[in-house]
Amino acid sequence: MSERRDTFRADSLLTPRAGIDDPFAAAVHATRMSMIIADAQAPDMPIVFANDAFLALSGYARDEVLGRNCRFLQGPDTDPEAARRLAQAVTDAVPINVDILNYSKDGKPFWNALQISPVHNADGVLVYFIGSQIDVTARKNAEDRLVQDREGLVSVATEQTRAAEQALAERTALLHEVDHRVKNNLQLISSLLVLQTRRTEDAKTRVALQSMLSRVSAIATVHRRLFQSRDLARFDVAAFVRDLVGDVSSSREEVEVDLDLESIDIAAAQAAPLALAVNELLDNAFAHGLASEKAGKLGIRVKRLNGHYVIEICDDGPGLPPTGRFEPGFGLTIVGLLAQQLRAELRFEPTNPGVRAILELPVNA
Amino acid sequence: MSQPMSVLIVEDEALLAVELGFLVEEAGCVPVGHALDAAVAVQLAARHRPDIALVDVHLADGPTGVDAAREIAGHHGALVLFMPANVKRLPEDLAGACGVIGKPYTDRAVRRALTYLVGCQARGCAESPPPPGLTLSDAYAARWGVHQLEQSA
Repeated sequence: MSERRDTFRADSLLTPRAGIDDPFAAAVHATRMSMIIADAQAPDMPIVFANDAFLALSGYARDEVLGRNCRFLQGPDTDPEAARRLAQAVTDAVPINVDILNYSKDGKPFWNALQISPVHNADGVLVYFIGSQIDVTARKNAEDRLVQDREGLVSVATEQTRAAEQALAERTALLHEVDHRVKNNLQLISSLLVLQTRRTEDAKTRVALQSMLSRVSAIATVHRRLFQSRDLARFDVAAFVRDLVGDVSSSREEVEVDLDLESIDIAAAQAAPLALAVNELLDNAFAHGLASEKAGKLGIRVKRLNGHYVIEICDDGPGLPPTGRFEPGFGLTIVGLLAQQLRAELRFEPTNPGVRAILELPVNA
Repeated sequence: MSQPMSVLIVEDEALLAVELGFLVEEAGCVPVGHALDAAVAVQLAARHRPDIALVDVHLADGPTGVDAAREIAGHHGALVLFMPANVKRLPEDLAGACGVIGKPYTDRAVRRALTYLVGCQARGCAESPPPPGLTLSDAYAARWGVHQLEQSA
């Protein structure tokens, strides 16, 4: 198909009802695709042809359209940038596709997927622009809704994340505050006991106060350990024993300490009773087994064996009395009660010389 | 040692401060003052030039112990030992302090730590790794050659 014939057909459309015998012209008139033709050579490029579909889309009568530049379709909310691109393409005589907000005669906005192409004659001279319009308001609205929905979702998610972060920050701050107070109060209790011990002359009272201090310190060590660990719900028994022995044995440097500690975790709720029991057994070893001049070896073992955690504390002192069992003082009474609470078994075995205290607690107590 | 080392106590709990005073004496040092807040702590440090300052982080005027420690260690040249309840909240460089003992501490741990610091300061180097309960800052561990001790041990 030659340029000449195209141009001829375009010309044939310009008089209404003209070229009706031409199937091409008839098709352009009848198609539901809105189409207009503008004269590229006349001043301000007036519309010289509009088909029925365009009139239906825009709501204007044919005589209201012909002779005007098609920018009358633009209105207050038309994007100036889209209008500028359109004008530029026309100036440059190049094809353009643009989605632009237009207004029908009754003032109702619609989204126009506009295509404009330049039409040249056989000599290459620009003679017309042909424009076609599709109403894409429904698609545009759906897109806008999607964007709005997405923005809405994002802002809801952002708000929820912010709220969760704030709640976490508050919880962490509260935890730090509680931790801080508990530690300070434990410190205060310890210091009170030490201060009172300093002013106490009676030997028995001093021993009782020192025992209480040792118990409070054991609980304090548990608390320090719990808050140092990453998992607040678990308690590392081996690390606790190392801390406790490090502290107690520093005042008894002549005692040789042998530690064999497997790393085992118990539930945090069991930490304080177990720590108190171990502390009591350790104090017992220092006060009785290691009090004698010949004795000087302390052995502590922590291991997992047959579904039990086993904690052994050995000294090489005078060992069990001839009855085969210790007279239960306050300290051993405490250990007995704590063992019951932990569902643990407590027993003492002679090691000749010395004694081994064994605490066995089930792994899933 | 010719003269016992002087120790400034910066602690807002009066009972803890009194008990620390006893422990300082038992470690062979002399307490030279007690401050409840940061401003008094810095004043006392400037006046007495203590060899050692024991510094809590939460003081009567808020969490001001870290700044006070920086000032006392930096301007007045004292060995600062932190004694906070929240060890994790201290800055990485320990604000120029030589080390930290976390609360709750035991009386034994404080005596041991003081004796250890006095020894290190007098000799200019450590004879052993720090005792249980005491954590040294990286700067002081390096200054006193603690890493070499730990490697050879």
